Amino acid sequence: MNEDLILQHGLTLDEFKIIKNYLNRDLTMEELGIFSAMWNEHCCYKTSKKWLKKLPTENEIVIQGPGENAGIIDIQDNDGIAFKIESHNHPSYIEPFNGSATGVGGILRDIFTMGARPIATLDSIRFGLIESEKTKYLLNGVVHGIGHYGNCIGIPNIGGECEFESTYGFNNLVNAMAVGQVQKDKIFYSKPKSIGGLIVYIGSKTGKDGIHGASMASDVFSEDDEDDKRPSVQVGDPFMEKLLMEGCLELMSLGLIESMQDMGAAGITSSSVEMASKGNVGVLINLDKVPLRQPLSAYEILLSESQERMLAVIDEKNNLKVKEILQKWQIDYEVIGEITNSKRVVFESNNKKVVDLPVDIIVDDAPEYDREFYMPRKRKGKDFDFSNIKLEDIINSLLSNLNYLDKSWVFNQYDSTVMGDTVKEPGQSSGIVKIHGTQKVIGATTDCNPLYIRINPYEGMKYTVAESYRNLIACNINPLAITNNLNFASPLDPNIMGELVLSIDGLKTAAEKFNTPIVSGNVSLYNQTNEIPIKPTPVIGMVGSNQDLKKINSNKFCNIGNKILILGKQLEKNLSPYLLQDQNLTSNINEYNDLEELDLDYEKKIADCVLKMSDLKYIMSCNDISRGGVFLSLLKMQYKDMGFKVNIPDPIDLFCEYSAGYVIEIRNEDLKNVSSFLSKNAVGYFEIGEIIKENIEINSKKFDYFDIINNYHNNFEKIIN
Amino acid sequence: MSFKSAVITFPGSNCDRDALCYLQDLTKGVVYNIWHEEASLPQVDLVILPGGFSFGDYLRSGAMASKSKIINDVIKHANDDRYLLGICNGFQILTEIGLLEGALIQNKNLKFLGKNCFIKKKFKNNFNLSIKEDQVLQIPVAHNEGNFYCDNETLKSLKDNEQIAFEYCKGEFSNSEENINGSIEAIAGITNKKKNILGMMPHPERAYSDFHPSQDGKLIIESLIT
Repeated sequence: MNEDLILQHGLTLDEFKIIKNYLNRDLTMEELGIFSAMWNEHCCYKTSKKWLKKLPTENEIVIQGPGENAGIIDIQDNDGIAFKIESHNHPSYIEPFNGSATGVGGILRDIFTMGARPIATLDSIRFGLIESEKTKYLLNGVVHGIGHYGNCIGIPNIGGECEFESTYGFNNLVNAMAVGQVQKDKIFYSKPKSIGGLIVYIGSKTGKDGIHGASMASDVFSEDDEDDKRPSVQVGDPFMEKLLMEGCLELMSLGLIESMQDMGAAGITSSSVEMASKGNVGVLINLDKVPLRQPLSAYEILLSESQERMLAVIDEKNNLKVKEILQKWQIDYEVIGEITNSKRVVFESNNKKVVDLPVDIIVDDAPEYDREFYMPRKRKGKDFDFSNIKLEDIINSLLSNLNYLDKSWVFNQYDSTVMGDTVKEPGQSSGIVKIHGTQKVIGATTDCNPLYIRINPYEGMKYTVAESYRNLIACNINPLAITNNLNFASPLDPNIMGELVLSIDGLKTAAEKFNTPIVSGNVSLYNQTNEIPIKPTPVIGMVGSNQDLKKINSNKFCNIGNKILILGKQLEKNLSPYLLQDQNLTSNINEYNDLEELDLDYEKKIADCVLKMSDLKYIMSCNDISRGGVFLSLLKMQYKDMGFKVNIPDPIDLFCEYSAGYVIEIRNEDLKNVSSFLSKNAVGYFEIGEIIKENIEINSKKFDYFDIINNYHNNFEKIIN
Repeated sequence: MSFKSAVITFPGSNCDRDALCYLQDLTKGVVYNIWHEEASLPQVDLVILPGGFSFGDYLRSGAMASKSKIINDVIKHANDDRYLLGICNGFQILTEIGLLEGALIQNKNLKFLGKNCFIKKKFKNNFNLSIKEDQVLQIPVAHNEGNFYCDNETLKSLKDNEQIAFEYCKGEFSNSEENINGSIEAIAGITNKKKNILGMMPHPERAYSDFHPSQDGKLIIESLIT
């Protein structure tokens, strides 16, 4: 086989040699296509596997950890929660609308493939600076795409994050997360149960879209690639997915299916290989039976990533019943093969075997690399000069920076109340939905602090996990488990590889301390275009629960006259990275001081106090403190005609970042109890001020209340237009 | 006698479960869920055409659903002077069938709009009896084509016959604009001349439980039952 062809398929010559030596014969084109799809970073985690193995993935509530379509945790009674986050970065840069829409479609399929009904979605999206017309185009397209798919299928979007930063200019990030509810005794896995089971194809017809999508996702881009790659982007049809979802859930509820696997990245290839590998069996599939949208070669059918398709295994006796149900939902259905005991993956086309490979070599012999990595250099300490920074200027700069502003322009394009169970809509510290027919609620959040992680990947990752944790704690949601989406630039650069290795280590340390195992995830590498690597962006999706929806904290002020207290440890001005960056005190990554070590025991201790005080009903409202400090937290809590007055020795401290930081609102009459509760737990607090009517006052200086509120809520839309 | 009702499910309906729960919780009577391919409806007091994207909004929102098999019986039900309520996509279907006048075109900012909105009643009918004059209701909207449009002649007749049931308005402390989607005269819901058919864009079935930010959606069912 010629070398160019091998390289075009994203395999190295060494990798190809391994395959050839094993098979001791030449490969067919179809087989080369299979290795191209299965041995790329997206499918086999060849760079990250060694490090991902170190993560905690189990505890008493984990029903399913990584390795299935989604992770599942136990939330008592017979309820399980399935969830996962996944990236669709490269497709969303090439074609923002369809790229992001199919990202949502893909993650929803991962959830209902397991028998879970999706009950919420979240997202994490990052773009370059808004001054660029390209960013505006991408932002509009991505938000439209996410909304279009989720709104149509009818799953509420309950939260997420949206950041603008220069390194994402030519490589925006789109990570979509979905959460589903499943009865614990009705979970479906991809492992087939019996030899002789029929392999059936369910869903949209196969077309040319997405061919080589997975290997594209593992490529470094150059700017002029964009047009060439467009045919690789999948086109989504949320209506078809809605039918597919209802059809599959009905089949599963009737017990008509043995196992199921979504045809996601690398389509029928990946789904059938995974089925065979999980069950330690073989598969025999006749490609001539695959429903097609247009004439396709066997090679194209194998690699197509057409959306809204499922592969299932059924018992032959259920064939007619399955067909009948899918006909009602107007879904294509075809028996295309069977489970064999050969432990080989065999695809036939035109009465010829076009692929005949042992499952072992595709899955178990997939390459695993131990790439070289560098530890970050020690940082020199530096004192920044804050003498010219005025309070008014900081406030004005926050109110003209997209990263701080109310993002309702984004989430008002999403349906966040469909299904009727939404308790907390987007824009608050975490999204919350009720488990249908119960009083239980699930809270979820997505977070990342790329700047922190670039400064110190290990500590920065701890801060990121702690921020997700705080988002849930602030609502009185008990954090339970994590899904992660590791977005990095090229791991061939040992500095980037170092960020990957150390941030996974930070994730491990924090997840162990919080007892929040990682149950699912996704890795997206090579996020760099024109030699500009993105900042390290390992996004955390955290899920938690509360058994009683009445115990949920408000994130908005409740009453004028109530006291405002601060819990946690403020980072000094010189140690608050976002403050330094956003006040233009430095733009050179080497100048930042090292992050202060995050004390996870302290973080947990404060969190436990917040949960207890919430249950005791001392807390009227609560918000966590993150980028933008206490001031931004107060602004987010502002509600109706309420404002705040605060007193603080150095007002610049209002904008510093925190560990274990929370703003809490309490009634005057509870102050004594709260104070003694906290001192009993050896936790300090700072009484910073109170809630007042239609005013914002800092150290007796009055600010224009309506101006600040209106700018906070309306400036996002003004700036992006 | 207990109140009986039904919710029609089309392929792509996604608020059918919400509407079923809304009716079950508030009417305490029998609620049927009817698949669009069924030929007949049971005898009920109220039929809801729920929100969603019936048939994927292909062709035009509501256009394909308006030709479904069950629609003949829906029309019969309405002709018998029984109640018919179309919410969101259901409103779009009612205008496509021709049971309600006007049309719902794309929102004026050309974007999907999902947020809490505020409405008040304009003319009295059986769907809004329990709502006071000038009472502001907070109810979520979630639509891409909710911008009510009709010609001047139709508008005049809608007014003359007191067919405008709800109009968008400003909420206390809200800094969003009054007419959220650009509808003519901020119309949020209309009835037929006989006032037994209501189409509205806001979703009352998402505003009735204790944990919802507002329970104002109850008032519509309460109006019909009392």
